[in-house]
Amino acid sequence: MKKYRISVNGQTYDVAVEELGAGAPAPQARVPAAAPQAAAPASPAAAPAPAAGPAVAGALTIKSPMPGTVMSFKVIQGQAVKRGDVVLILEAMKMENEIVAPQDGTVASIRVPQGAAVNTGDPLIDLA
Amino acid sequence: MDDKIRELEERRSKVLAGGGPKRVAAQHEKGKMTARERVESLLDSGSFTEIDAFVEHRCDELGMAEVEAPGEGVVIGHGTIGGRLVFVFAQDFTVIGGSLGEMHAAKICKAMDLAVKAGAPVIGINDSGGARIQEGVDALRGYGDIFYRNTLASGVVPQISVIMGPCAGGAVYSPALTDFTVMVDKTANMFITGPQVIKAVTGEDVSAEALGGATVHSTTSGVASLMFPDEASTIAGVKKLLSYLPQNNIEDAPLAPGGDDPSRACPGLKEIIPDQANKPYDIRDVIKDVFDDGDFFEIQPIYAQNIVTCFARLAGRSVGIVANQPKVLAGVLDINASDKASRFIRFCDAFNIPLVTLSDTAGYLPGVGQEHGGVIRHGAKLLYAYSEATVPKLTVILRKAYGGAYIAMCSRHLGADQVFAWPSAEIAVMGPDGAANIIFKKEIDEAADPAAARAAKIAEYKKSFANPYKAAVRGYVDDVIDPADTRNRLARALSMLLGKRETRPARKHGNIPL
Repeated sequence: MKKYRISVNGQTYDVAVEELGAGAPAPQARVPAAAPQAAAPASPAAAPAPAAGPAVAGALTIKSPMPGTVMSFKVIQGQAVKRGDVVLILEAMKMENEIVAPQDGTVASIRVPQGAAVNTGDPLIDLA
Repeated sequence: MDDKIRELEERRSKVLAGGGPKRVAAQHEKGKMTARERVESLLDSGSFTEIDAFVEHRCDELGMAEVEAPGEGVVIGHGTIGGRLVFVFAQDFTVIGGSLGEMHAAKICKAMDLAVKAGAPVIGINDSGGARIQEGVDALRGYGDIFYRNTLASGVVPQISVIMGPCAGGAVYSPALTDFTVMVDKTANMFITGPQVIKAVTGEDVSAEALGGATVHSTTSGVASLMFPDEASTIAGVKKLLSYLPQNNIEDAPLAPGGDDPSRACPGLKEIIPDQANKPYDIRDVIKDVFDDGDFFEIQPIYAQNIVTCFARLAGRSVGIVANQPKVLAGVLDINASDKASRFIRFCDAFNIPLVTLSDTAGYLPGVGQEHGGVIRHGAKLLYAYSEATVPKLTVILRKAYGGAYIAMCSRHLGADQVFAWPSAEIAVMGPDGAANIIFKKEIDEAADPAAARAAKIAEYKKSFANPYKAAVRGYVDDVIDPADTRNRLARALSMLLGKRETRPARKHGNIPL
């Protein structure tokens, strides 16, 4: 049993996570079981999310809204972002378009290299 | 006589009680007001005059003979909002679920007929379980009668639909035919076929909220013009919307002169637009600075956000603004933006509201999805709507105006009465990069250093063509103005055009590419 202290939107939560051997099934179904131990006064659902790692409920892929070129990234993998934060700049239609996070989360992975030409709907960044 | 008056009072109090205290309490528990409470809070205090309170259904089939439906499940009448006459109908969910039968529909039709005769807006508050099945084809006839009147009243008096509960099946088409559909978050739903039918037919599992809630209709389908978090803010929103509108198609919107000097300089505007032509900014900052008191009222604010459509005032006069939004999708024109703007333009034209267009767009969005989605016919609506409009049309080109988008955003060629351009305007047939690559292809290919030659040619093209002066030389742009003068020049142009008359050949109607 490992104990973590996690800060979500300025709220601090104590979370205990139990590691279940290699043969155990995918962990995300069990992780929420740790939530009741979290000393979270409000919104306990928020606590298990960061502890569960990738592929939890609320994960989301930011997709390219139009054809263009990825100019630069404003975030790195693992970085926490808030809704409305600029995550990357997409050059398209003669404009440096700011692509923003549609919700709070953590950058789980960056799916395209800088300079990549992307089309509408191509995945750019995974948020967890 | 006293006895007879007592009987009248008894009969009336029965109608006023609606579905009775139990059902009224259930309505309140859902965070919903009753039909009468909604009408009272929408209209000026004490102004509501009810009509047809004693109407009853005449259905005696399937057990309906014994069913009493006080007021036939809908409250109709007239009153004032801000002292101006309006007609209202409000479906009463506490009376057999607000279901629509023959006489219920007849009441709604009466309110609409009177509104058209009197030349006043109609506001319909929808909260109904749907057709009253027991009445069969008579209920269908009721819907049809309403649709027909919605269509005949379209462009004659403003029609606003407020959705404050379920609105399903045939019921959705009356709001769709009106000018504005306003939804309350969480309690309002609109769909042709509900979740159960969808589940049975296609197997898709979807909640009523995800299928037809206010959010999905405000962001994805574009069915909703506006949404508000609760009934009180919805009613406040409807009142604000009405303040920009005239009573009917032969009147002008009311003047509301504030303290904002029409000739006020806007020195902040030149700071809003970034120096680099490819940096985004929020067009709403420009709108706030130019129009009266920094106030404006967006229609479809979270749908097709790459174009902004809103009402505002200039020197106290109501205007409709259509503006590209460089902050979203580079402000491109696409299918949804074209639809959104075209409908708004046609509303303004029908009701004598002058149009102000703020142009900064690189063009129509490229892509297979757009082409196959019919961007040709949807984009054509924008050209049609602008060309058709005979209200005063003012255009300001802030920055990019390339190719088809230059023409589409109310250029001189579509009948703009006055076109102003900022010195930052780039009006050309296409962007510098593409143009240089085509025009100077040979020179670039044959140069010792093609990359340097291309850069030089792009710079050359930019300098000689990506500016407002080529268009000003032809008179396509009436003047190139300092951004600080934008408000003053628009206000003067609007005042100059107040008596504008433009007649078109007589015809039944045009054929807009729907």
